[in-house]
Amino acid sequence: MSGPADRAPAPDDRGLGAVWMRFWFEPTDPRPLALVRILVGLLGLALLWSWQADLGRWCGPEGLVTPASAAAWVSRGDGAWLAVVDAALGPRGVWAIAVASFAALVVGAGGTVVAVTAACSLSLLLHRAPMLAGPADDCLVILTWCTAVAPATRALSLDRVLAGRGRVASAVIAPPAPSWRARLATGLLQVHASVIALAAATAQLKGDAWWDGTAAWWLAARAESRVVDLTSAYAGSTYLMNLVTHAIPAFEAAFAVGLWASAVRPAIARLGLVAWPAVGVLVGEPFWGLAMAVFAVPFTGLAWGAAASPSHPVTRRAGAA
Amino acid sequence: MPPRASHPVDASMGALPGAAAEPVRAAVTFALAIYLFGLALCVIGNTSSGASLLVRTIKGKIFTPFLAPAWLDLGFDYPFTYGLPEDADHVLEVAPFGDPAARLRFPGDMAGERARRWRRLARAITETGGDPDRTARVAADVGAAMFEAFGPDVRLRVLRRARADVGGVDPGRLDEAFAARVREIDGDVQLIRDEPAGAVAPVVVPRRDPAGWTEPRP
Repeated sequence: MSGPADRAPAPDDRGLGAVWMRFWFEPTDPRPLALVRILVGLLGLALLWSWQADLGRWCGPEGLVTPASAAAWVSRGDGAWLAVVDAALGPRGVWAIAVASFAALVVGAGGTVVAVTAACSLSLLLHRAPMLAGPADDCLVILTWCTAVAPATRALSLDRVLAGRGRVASAVIAPPAPSWRARLATGLLQVHASVIALAAATAQLKGDAWWDGTAAWWLAARAESRVVDLTSAYAGSTYLMNLVTHAIPAFEAAFAVGLWASAVRPAIARLGLVAWPAVGVLVGEPFWGLAMAVFAVPFTGLAWGAAASPSHPVTRRAGAA
Repeated sequence: MPPRASHPVDASMGALPGAAAEPVRAAVTFALAIYLFGLALCVIGNTSSGASLLVRTIKGKIFTPFLAPAWLDLGFDYPFTYGLPEDADHVLEVAPFGDPAARLRFPGDMAGERARRWRRLARAITETGGDPDRTARVAADVGAAMFEAFGPDVRLRVLRRARADVGGVDPGRLDEAFAARVREIDGDVQLIRDEPAGAVAPVVVPRRDPAGWTEPRP
């Protein structure tokens, strides 16, 4: 979790408790999370747009997915809260609140309240029709909750511009104060990115198609849901098909593990910015690939200027960059 | 009054700008420990990993009530394909009963994430997830929602696009994965599922060498 320190360690500096404290609570730069907030907002708007045309048909009073079949599909405790919200706002109301919240995340208005509202409204919408939710929705919810934990509107935000009485330049350039909430949110992103990547890799390796090298073909052969048609390339080269098949879980596993090794963390995160969208395209879930790339953003150490907390590997590398 | 720092690391961290007070760190640490334990149980218990009943029970009783409403009760079980027929693209088809020419198919010519959501709905009708009633409920609701357009008697089908074998050509065929008649009788919705051919056709075991063991015994 922590790399070699720049200073001589204190007597109890390397114990489990100290590592825990540094990992979760050492104040750090909130600017990477501001970028995550903007990307989460854009991703949320894109995914919410996919509900727009059919929301009434899916979740309306005479919709295809009734509250009863939704309740039978996913566990949610007693579900009474959802019935109350459904009666008060309706799916269209929840959707509108979610759109407004994610738009506010993009511009950075409303602080934590807006991020919590975005996460809650998105969760409500998914509970209303859980069988329509996909991997991208799952990851977006996680990202949004992490954004809610972070002080994500302290940089690159309308809130910061307004707090600086309209001085846009200083709001964009000046580094905000370090924050323990930024470190907490970064830690949660790290844990979830690793868990999701590892869970995806292990799920894939339970099937023979991912071992015998044909999974890439079966993904590409889905004529309707594929993003790009690579069947000709795979038919022409078995090696290419095998390579793509094995590269996907290999990258997922490497990403899951590499995020915890400070020596390779920035490199694997930067690779993730390119590789995750590519994986998303190859498996026919491009928004999932984009969501996973957003998870990688805080760990790239790219272009964040002065580090807020020099002792932490993430911010120290950011400062070095 | 500054918070009391009883540990060297706590003391140095408490002095940093933007640091959390010790009571806050303690409370968040407690919440994190609970959440991370719940996350581990969710990943183990929500996947088809063969997790023990005990894990699922603990997760369901203790963590699901507060993780599920926030859409955090997830297993991240994303294989994307196992190369099986059920991993193919699914199509939802609805038509007035007895008038297949008037059928509607979803996602039709839709594209992107909108089309993916329709395919997930179609696939949901074919996936029992260990609970056939759940599938029947979804299918009945989908059929009933079409009464307004087609009248109170519809035929609902889920079709799977046949896959090309490795290196082969797309057969361009749709195979039936689910079929049922959904109708309204005295205000109740009835779902009458087509019996799959395998359930009604006799199983024929060819007679082999008399010395063998495959001949049906009395």
